[in-house]
Formats: sequence, structure tokens, C-alpha cells
Amino acid sequence: MIACVAVVGHQNNPLYIQSFTEADDALKLHHIVHCSLDVVDERVNNPKKSGPTLNETFLGLLYPTENYKVYGYLTNTKVKFIIVTTHLDVRDADFFRRFHAAYVDAVSNPFHVPGKKITSTTFAERVSTIVKSFGLSSAG
Amino acid sequence: MCIRLLCSCGWIDPLIACSVYRSITEMSKYLAQFQSIKSAADHIVIAVEDVSDVWPTVKRGFEERLPFKRACLNNKTRNLMFVEKLPAEFILTTDSRLRSRVPQEQLLFWFREPYATIVLVTCEDLDEFKTILKPRLKLILQNDDREWLIVFVSKAHPSNDQATKMAKKVYAKIEADFNSKKRERCYKLDLHGPEPSFWEDLESKIVESIRNTLDRRVQFYEDEMRKLSEQRCMPVWNFCNFFILKEILAFIFEIAHLYEDALREYDELELCYLETVNVTGKQREFGGIDHGDDQAALLNPANKALTQIVQDDSFREFDFRQYLFACQSKLLFKLNRPFEVASRGYSFIITFSKSLAQHENILPFCMREVWEITACLDLISVTSSHYNEGLAPLDIEKEFYRLLGDLYSLCRIKFMRLAYLIGYGSDIERSPVNSASLSMLPWPKPSVWPSVPPDASSEVLAKEKLILQEIPKVKSFGIQRKTLPLEPSVLLREANRRRASFSGANMLEMFDGSVSDASLRMSCSKKLQAIAMSRTNSSPGTFESSIDRPMRPAEIFVASEHALKSTISNPDLWKSLSSVEEFERKYLNLSKGAADNYHRSWWKRHGVVLDGEIAAIWFKHGNFDLAAKSYEKVCALYSGEGWQDLLAEVLPNLAECQKILDDKAGYLLSCVRLLSLDKGLFSTKERQAFQSEVISLAHSELKDPVPLDVSSLITFSGNPGSPLELCHGDPGTLSVTVWSGFPDDITLDSLSLTLTATYNADEGAKALKSSNATVLKPGKNSITVDLPPQKPGSYVLGALTGQIGLLRFRSHGFSKVGPADSDDFMSYEKPIRPILKVFNPRPLVDLTAAVSSPLLINEAQWVGIIVRPIDYSLKGAILHIDTGPGLMIEESHFIDMESYISVSESVPKLKNCHSNQKNSSLAVNKDFEQLHLDDGRIQLPDWASNVNSILWIPVRAINKSLARGSSSVTPPTQSIIDGMRTLALKLIFGISSNQTFERTIAVHFTDPFHVRTRVSYKGIDDTILLQVIIHSQVKASLTIYDAWLDLQDGFIHAGQGDGRPMSAFFPLVISPTSRAGLLFSICLEKTPTEVEVEAVRPESILNIQYGISGDRTVEAHPLLTSNSTGTEAAKNSSIFRSALVLERPVLDPSLAFGFLPLPSGDLRVGQLVNMQWTVERLKDLEDTESSQGKDEVLYELNANSDNWMIAGRKRGYISLPTKQGSKTVISILCVPLVAGYIRPPQLGLPDVNKANISCNPSEPHLIGVLPPAISSSFCIPASVGVLNIGCYCDVEPWLMYSGTLSSSL
Repeated sequence: MIACVAVVGHQNNPLYIQSFTEADDALKLHHIVHCSLDVVDERVNNPKKSGPTLNETFLGLLYPTENYKVYGYLTNTKVKFIIVTTHLDVRDADFFRRFHAAYVDAVSNPFHVPGKKITSTTFAERVSTIVKSFGLSSAG
Repeated sequence: MCIRLLCSCGWIDPLIACSVYRSITEMSKYLAQFQSIKSAADHIVIAVEDVSDVWPTVKRGFEERLPFKRACLNNKTRNLMFVEKLPAEFILTTDSRLRSRVPQEQLLFWFREPYATIVLVTCEDLDEFKTILKPRLKLILQNDDREWLIVFVSKAHPSNDQATKMAKKVYAKIEADFNSKKRERCYKLDLHGPEPSFWEDLESKIVESIRNTLDRRVQFYEDEMRKLSEQRCMPVWNFCNFFILKEILAFIFEIAHLYEDALREYDELELCYLETVNVTGKQREFGGIDHGDDQAALLNPANKALTQIVQDDSFREFDFRQYLFACQSKLLFKLNRPFEVASRGYSFIITFSKSLAQHENILPFCMREVWEITACLDLISVTSSHYNEGLAPLDIEKEFYRLLGDLYSLCRIKFMRLAYLIGYGSDIERSPVNSASLSMLPWPKPSVWPSVPPDASSEVLAKEKLILQEIPKVKSFGIQRKTLPLEPSVLLREANRRRASFSGANMLEMFDGSVSDASLRMSCSKKLQAIAMSRTNSSPGTFESSIDRPMRPAEIFVASEHALKSTISNPDLWKSLSSVEEFERKYLNLSKGAADNYHRSWWKRHGVVLDGEIAAIWFKHGNFDLAAKSYEKVCALYSGEGWQDLLAEVLPNLAECQKILDDKAGYLLSCVRLLSLDKGLFSTKERQAFQSEVISLAHSELKDPVPLDVSSLITFSGNPGSPLELCHGDPGTLSVTVWSGFPDDITLDSLSLTLTATYNADEGAKALKSSNATVLKPGKNSITVDLPPQKPGSYVLGALTGQIGLLRFRSHGFSKVGPADSDDFMSYEKPIRPILKVFNPRPLVDLTAAVSSPLLINEAQWVGIIVRPIDYSLKGAILHIDTGPGLMIEESHFIDMESYISVSESVPKLKNCHSNQKNSSLAVNKDFEQLHLDDGRIQLPDWASNVNSILWIPVRAINKSLARGSSSVTPPTQSIIDGMRTLALKLIFGISSNQTFERTIAVHFTDPFHVRTRVSYKGIDDTILLQVIIHSQVKASLTIYDAWLDLQDGFIHAGQGDGRPMSAFFPLVISPTSRAGLLFSICLEKTPTEVEVEAVRPESILNIQYGISGDRTVEAHPLLTSNSTGTEAAKNSSIFRSALVLERPVLDPSLAFGFLPLPSGDLRVGQLVNMQWTVERLKDLEDTESSQGKDEVLYELNANSDNWMIAGRKRGYISLPTKQGSKTVISILCVPLVAGYIRPPQLGLPDVNKANISCNPSEPHLIGVLPPAISSSFCIPASVGVLNIGCYCDVEPWLMYSGTLSSSL
């Protein structure tokens, strides 16, 4: 299942972070997302490593630990989408593309201040719909 | 398979081969021996067949060549590889190591057979060679497949020619017998002075032999391997055989120092093994249950004998995979690639850990965790000892440290897990990082959870006591936070469930049937406590029949401790779990290791976060200084990137440290930062606590002022809408919105704002101070500040500074709309919207004279001044009036002020206006006020502050001198300047009387009339008709009521007149700028004038009584006293007096001279002209007594020297007979110098009274002079001209021209 989704701005500031765990432990997910930025930075700063996937927005598995996995996606504007999953493999960027589309719609809102946290409830609903559908489809 | 080779090599009898094959199928028997041989043999062996017993003499020479330098060998892909140092050993064939091997052993371990054989021979006799040596050699070398070389040792001394010759012969024979065409295999070693290239040649030949042997062996094994691989799917296939072949191949490469190839063999072996392992159906023993297996052996290939690993033809995964990894890492270290070891090792640990997890039910309790801890520590210590810093490229180095960090981190997590199981959970910081790693890590899953050993009741009691004594940590500021979980699920349930499943009873139901998900999420430690307490209260110390009853937490801990004790074989590891202090020491070491390594890698965030964990330990142990430093780093990381939720977790800890360390400034800053975090992160109560800390610190505890940036807490912005606009020099009031992030009202002792000019950053910010203490409410506040006059330009808000007690704060925070989300890291672009615009200096008001036409001099007149504000209020303006010389203000009168609309503005209005205003150029509005002049100042009324208005000031220009008339005798001399008067005006206005406008207005005054006189008729009886022409000099029409002439001495009015004109058509109206004439009849006074010595009246005075009818808005106007209306105009008239000079006419001409006409033709510049005057005597000179027989007359020529050049005498006497009618002509040569109408030279007779001269023409006249004719003589070349001019400069004009004239004459 997807434990957490996050949007991180180009200055590595959190724009949106939502956990989908039942327990009241969002902070640890904040930590996971924050630390995974190290990996994103490393990949972005070391083009040698990323190699052929340089132009690919989907960064793939960032952070394989024993218990959870972190996947990343980097837009052209250096906005990062990060998801934390437990027992779920994300093989393609499909989830991220839908997430990205939702983000684009949210920040296109003229009342949204660029670089500020996304407070739109519509966005939150849309994201949770995507997360749910993805969790279901991949679980099945 | 090997048998074929061995047969072909001739080492074994083909008959034996069958049995050998059988034995190979059971090759596993020899594994132990294989391993021991492998560990013993680590170099290439070269056999020495010492036929002639010369080895002892040459041994030294041979062994000096070892190891072979830059040996050229083929690798597996048949590419040449240079091995820098190839170790080898020369062993005599008689040596026991080569002798003692039994065929079967040889068969398995033939890879240690010599790679080459060197046959040492010496012979001094040809016959001996032929009979004994040669057959023997043939026997030795009968097998061509062996690589052999013959070294002929010549003992012959060079001085011994005979012996040398013989040796040569023998050697030639050997060469002929044993050298083939393809290959040279014989070498001659002279004991007494070998050839210089001998050793090199020999070495290269030995290496060549080794190479050939190696190639052959590799080829053979590969072939065998291929064959074996073909049988892969068949039941005959045996992994053990495959393993041995691969291992042998790898070993061959390894001793040939071709590590890359060896590594590849092991990699292939591993792959193959993993494939076979994953084949389902075949149940294999996993291993890992031996004593000491909990200690990872992934870097020690010799940890266990291969025989232990192999069991019944299958390899135990647990041991074998570690063995393979150990072999690989050994080779990698030989290749000097510790980084790769770490990298492979980390992933090996992860994957191997998964395998361990699969077999967890058969393994000892927590075996997996213990193995991971030991594996990580091993890997860290070995790789870092092999790693040479600075040799690898930067990115590899960073990656290496990252891996070490990961290893430490993994080790740390597992270690914490073990500690938690033992009951040290309360000593583990419930931080996000620990929670993230532990709460998602499943509990160990032993088949049965360990139960409490029977004799551990005292330990359980002790644990329970500890649990009860545990004081929940209280965060500073009384922050209430839900603690983060360290456990994936409640340990109590997990442990009891595992027991329950074993005992078959459903413990959950009896334990806590109604546990909802929500309550499960409760902080675990609390729950544990609660349960523990209830249990101890109800049934203290009853845990005998623990199988039927769920275990209590203390029991779980004790049980785990005992189970772990039996699992862990490493005493060091067990020691570090034996007490809380030891645990913390180890925990700190691991955290430090991880943090340090992460800091040296790209993963800075990981490092900093772990610093925070280290800080927590230091904090716990009272090492607040270090703790504060680390916490500061963590806070900087989080706040720098705006992770406020995480920051809110750490910042209170930092604040606490600073408080304890008495770092007031830091503590204050931390409190302010806590306040500036998102409001949702702390409750109002907590935020109020922060604020009260800030205020109490600022007001009492600080000793020195502390500067602080509160940009995220107090933000400000200008008011929406257009900026405040000010004229240059005006002060103003600026209104600013300030948002306060404080939860309560806060009193600022002072507040100031800086303004920054947008056009010029160097100008520096200007501070605006709010005068008194300000109280900021939470949220939006509006603040006004006084704005002193600013330079022109537009300004934006710079910063807000202020003071709370001794806290000097400063804010750069701009809010866009409403309070900012207080992201203190975000560098928003500063709003460029200016808050203030100060315009460039521009005219704000204009003062002009209302009337340009002249006013009456010496009379009280209104001077109009138009006051025109230019988009600027004149409220409260004061006008200073300073009159110039000759002008005074009639202070008895009020000053009129009325509104004014200029013509252009009033045109539309005028159309509707009445006809009486038709002629007026000024439309006068009804606003009217009389003002009083006070000490030269006038206060302008308010109604006039924004409209154009006109001020009427009563003035009087004074001119003491009498007006003078003009005539042909006295031409008019009055200039316009005489009537000019000035009025200096200074207007002080503006919001705080800060603006001034100064202007000096010139007003033109004039007399009403100018008078000219002319004698119009001269009668015989000396009666003269004097015509007086009166010019009106003003724009208004004048009315003459009366006029009379006071005559000067020598003249009297004719016919007893009273000096009034002959005809009196009074009142006479003179329209503007027109003329009128008056005729007076006067005559000369007959009475001798000489008697009246005192000249009473040198001039005649013309008196004119007149009135004026004019409008003050346009022109000269009636006098101030007049009402200017009605019939009694005459009363309001004034009298104008003008002096006239009358001259007596020429009465007694005695001489007359006349200007003779000029010769015909044009008069040109530069042309000589003869001017002639005739002088004639009209009277005999004898008649007059005064003349004393003078027959000469003095003449004088007056000419303008600019216009004329005179040739001849200007002054002189000419003879003129005294007789009446005598005549003479004065002729003078003149040259006109300028073209145009010029006055000719005039002749005067200075000796003769003017009254006695009659001249013709009587008045000055003009003559026309043409420009010079175009003549070549005037064309002077430029250079010459310049020269000439230079020459002529000092010469008088006369000389210059005389020269020219003479030449033209």
C-alpha cells in the first residue's frame, strides 16, 4: 500500500504531504520523504549515474530499505513527487503521471501562490482517489 | 572428465581412469583436502629436473628471478594480461611435495602440478652425453605435452680453452637433438660469466611455458564445464562437481594472479547456485543452527570447512553463500576494490537477510538481527581498513562513505530492535528517524516466542520495577505530543500470539477482546505500563504456569533476554546489550559512525538527522553543549528547507539546551522561531508559553541588547491601493499593515520602518520611527508612521525594526495577502510595489502679475497678483510682500482677494455671461474677501487654497522728478526703465509650511501723458502759437478736464490770458494711445531780462487736470479713492504736471552758413567726397561793439569718427571780411566709412552765439551712403589680410586710410 505521497518544491521545501497510514505517525513519513531528497539530489547532481534515464522524469526506486520503498519523480521545474510504499512495487510512472496532472491543475489555480503549500481540498481529494485506485489495482 | 586429461598428460594409467571417474563422482569426499591444498598453495610451481646435480650451484641464480616481473599471461578470453609480480617456486622433482602425491590425489589436485619443467644438465664429454645423458633426457622428455626447457650448465672456465670447446660441442649436440624448428628449448648457462641476456631469455621462456600450460588447463576445464552444463537438466548433474570445477578454475586464475577471471568464476558459481537453490521441491537444509553461526562469516572463506557446508550432495545455503561472498571479497580486496566489497556486501546483507527471514522459524531467536549486526560491523571494519582515502575518484569515495553510512545505519536499527526486545525501549528516543526505521520493521517471527525460564522470577520483578519507575519524559514548554511508535505492532500481542498459536489457545480473547484499532495506535509504552500495572496489582508475582497465561511485558523482556543470550555467541555484542549504559555506548558509536560517514557522502540529510539522535543522547547525559550544537545543525537543515513539522519536533529540544546553557540570545531566537512555526503545530497554550518566555527574557533577563530576526513572525506590507504620493519636500504619514504572529497582544517599545529607494540602492534605507509604544494584536494591525520629507523617487518598504525590552528585532518579512505562511526560508521576491512616491521638484504654485499694461505713477493703484496653485493645496499659505524702491503699499487700504478664472478657462462660461463682462479679459468669480496686510504678510484664506485667485494690492509708485515734455529742441529722454517698480513676493505654503515660492514681479508705471511741444506759428509781433501735443500713455481712456500753462521766464501769455488754451473743449476725452493737441498763445516778454537776476522759473509747466476711466483688471485705472462712477468725475481727477522748455527764437542772425549740396552721383563707402559749407555775413560786424575788427571766424567740424574720416583740419580759422555779404566756402574732404543713412559731419562756429546764427538746413539731416563698389582692390588674400590686419592694429585708422586714399587718387 501507499503510505505517503508528497510534493516537494524545487527548493526542497514540502508543498504537500499526505500520509495514508492509520496510525498517527505522519512525522516519520515526513522524515522518510525528507531523507529521500538526498537520493534525488544525488541522482540529479551526478548525471553520470543517472545515465540514459537523464531525461526521464520517473526516478524509480530511490530508497530500498527492508521495510518500505520510496519512489521518486522529478518534473522539469524540479518539483519532486515522492511516494512511500510498503510491500508495493511501482514499476512505471503511471501513478506519477496522474499525480503530476493533479498537481498541475492545483497550481494552475490563480489563487495559489507558487512555492507555497498546496492547500486545495480538491487536490487532496484527487490525490487520495488516485492513491486508492492505485492501491486497489496493484493489490488485485 | 579429468581422467581424459590426466591420461593424455600421461600421469595416470588409463586403466585406473575408470575408478578415478567413480571417485570424482564422489568428489565431495575430497573437499576437505581440496580446501587445505587450496589454502596452502598460493603460487605457481616450476619443477626442476636436476639430471647432473648442478641445482645447488645454480639455485641462487634461478631464485633471484622470482617473482617474475610483468609476466605476460592470457586471461580467460585469451587476451594478454600483464601480471606485475607473478610468484612462483622452483621445486626439484625429487622433492617430497612432488613425489608423495598419490595418483588419486594428483588426479583431483593436479592443478597444483608444475607449470613447467626445467631440466638441468651438464656434460664435459661428448661420448658421455651420447651414451648416458641423451637417452636419459629422452626418457624424461618423452611426453611432449609438458612444458620443458633444457638448461645446459657449462662449468668450463673461459681460460680453459679445451673445456670451453668441449662444452660448446656438447651444447651444440643438445641443441641439435632437442631444439625443434618451432621452438627453442635449450639454453646454455656459463657458470663463469653467463651471457648478459641469458636470464632475461630464460625468464621469458619460463613465463611462456607457464602461459602455455595455463592456456591448456583453462581450455580443458572450460571444455569440461561446457559438457557439464549441457547435462544441467539431467538427474546425473551434480552441483558439487560443478562447484569443484569452477572452484579449481577460479583457483588457477587466482594463483596466476588473474583475479578478474577468478572473480568471474565465483560470480558464475554464485549465479548457478542461486538457481539451483531456488528450484522448488528439493528440500535442503538451510544451515545456520550451529554455534557461532550468528556471527556473520561473509569475509572469512575459511570459517567453516567445505565438508561442513556440503551435506548429502547439497550445499547449505547459509554457509555456502557466505563462503562464496567471502571468496569474492577476498579477490576484490586483492584487486584493491574495497568499495565494491562494501557495495556488494550491503546488498548481500539485504538479500541474505531476506533468506534468513524465510527460515526464521528454524533459526534461533533473533538470529537474523544478530547476523545482520555482525555482518555490518565486519564489513565496515574490513572495508574501511582496506580503503585508502583519496585514491578513488570523488564520486566513488562519496558512494563508499554512503555505503558505510548505510551499513552503520542498518546495524543501528537492528541493534535498537534487540535492545527494545530486552526492554530498553524507553531509552530509545522516539524520534521520527527511529520511528521510521523501527515501526515499519516487523517483529522477529520465531516459531515459538521464547518463554520465561523458570528461575528468572527475580529478573522479572526487577524489570517490572524498572518499568514502574520509568518517568515519562516531559518536553520543555509543557509541549504535549503524541509519541511516535517504535514498534510495528504491540509487542505484547505479538509475543503472546506466537505463544498462543503454539499452545493452541486463543490468548487474544482472554487478553483484550475489545481492543480496537484506535486504541492499538495508542502509545505503546503507556499501554504496556497500564497493563503491567493492572497485572501486578491483581496478581503480583504469579507467573508459574506461564504457558496458559499471556506474558506480561517484563516477562517478555526477560524471556527475550534469555533467548538472545543463547543466540548471541559474540561476547562483545552481548556485552553491549547487557546494561542500559552499554547499550547507549554502542548505540552512540553506531549513530556516530553512520552520521560521520553520511556526512562524507552526498547524503547530508541522513547525517544531520543522525546528529540529532546523537544530540539526544548527549542531552540525556547532560552534555548540553554538544547537544545544542548538533540540534542547531538539525534545526538549520529543517528550517532551511521548510520542513516545519520536523522542525517542531527538534526545536524545543534545542531551546531546552540553550536554556540550560544560559545562552539567552540563542534561547530567545529559538522561542521566536517556535512562535513563527505554523500555528497548527503547537497549541495556543504552548504558543503562549513561548511568548511569555520571549517577553520575560526581553524585559528582565537579558543584560545586553540582543538583535534578532523575526521576519517570519512579524510581517508587514504597505496598504493596498496606490502608493502614497507626496510632493518634493512634503512630510506625510505612512500607513502600514503589520501582521503579528504572536498568540497574544505584544507591546513593542519602539517600532521603526525603513524605506528603500527603488531607483538607488546605494542611498541606503531611511528609518521612519513610530513615536510611541505600539501594541500589536495577534493578526492584522494597522500602524501609522510620520514621514519626514524625502528625496524624490519611489520607495518600497525595507525592513521593520523595533524593540521589545532589550530585544532588538528586525523583520524583512513581506506579506502578500494576509499573514504569510511564515516560511522563513522562502526568499520571496520582494514586492516591487512602491509604498511611497515622492515627485520630483515641480512648480506647485505660480504668482504672476495680473496686468501687463502700465499703471499710473505717483497715484494709488491696484496691482493684481494672480495666485495659481498647481495641483497643490495652498491651505494656510502666507504671502510675504516686499516692495522695491520707489514703490510703497497703501496700508490704509485693505487688500482685495477674489477668485480668478483665466480667459482660456472661462471661455465656455463667458458665453453665458452678461455683456458687461464682454470686454473683460478676467472673469471674476464671486468669492471675494478683504484682507489686511500685517507686517508685510498676508494669510491666504482657505477658500483660495485650491482655486486660482487674484490679490489686489494697493500701491503707489513714487517718482519725485517732474515729467518732461519734449520738443524738437529737447528730444524725449524718458526710458521705460524709469517706470519699472518691483514687488518681491514670497509665498510660504505646504502641509507644514515647508514649501516656499519666491518671485519678483515687475510692474510698469507711467505718467498718463507725454507732452510734446511745437511752435506752430510765429507772428510778427512776437506772438507764438505753441502747440502742445498730448500722448496718452495708458490703456485706459483719459479725460482732460482742464489744462493750463505756467510759463517760464521770458514768456508771457498773449493777451492777458490765464494760461488756458485758446480753445477749451473740455472735458476732452483721449482714447488709449491716442493723441490730442492744445494750442496756447504766448509771446516773448519784452521787459529786459537781465534785471531779474534770480531765475525763478527756468521751465514752463503744463498742468493738466484729468480723470481716468479704466478697469484695474486690465489697465491703469481710477485712483483708489475714487468710486469711478457718476457725474463727479472731475472731483476725482488728479493733476498731471509736465515741464516744458521753451527757447527764445533766433532773433539777431549775423552769420549764416549752409551745407552745399553734395556732388551728384552715389556716395559710396570709401569714396572721397568733398563737403562744402558756405558761410556768409548777414550784418556788418562794425555795428556790434563786441566785435573787435575780427575778420576771421573759428569753425569746428563735428563728425562721428565711426562713420566718417576727415581729411584736413577739423578746427580752424577762416578769414571772413567783416563786411555784410562777405562769403566764404569751407571745403573738407571726407570719406564715409559705413553704408546707410548717416548723419554728415556738422559745422559749428563756436565763437558765435547760437542766437546769431542761422543755418540751413536748420535741423540735423541724414545722407545716404552706398556700400562699396565691388572692387578687386578690396580683395585681399586671406593670409595677407591677416598679416595686414596684424600690421595695422597699432596704426591709427587715419593713417591706414590715407594710404589707401592716396593710391586711389
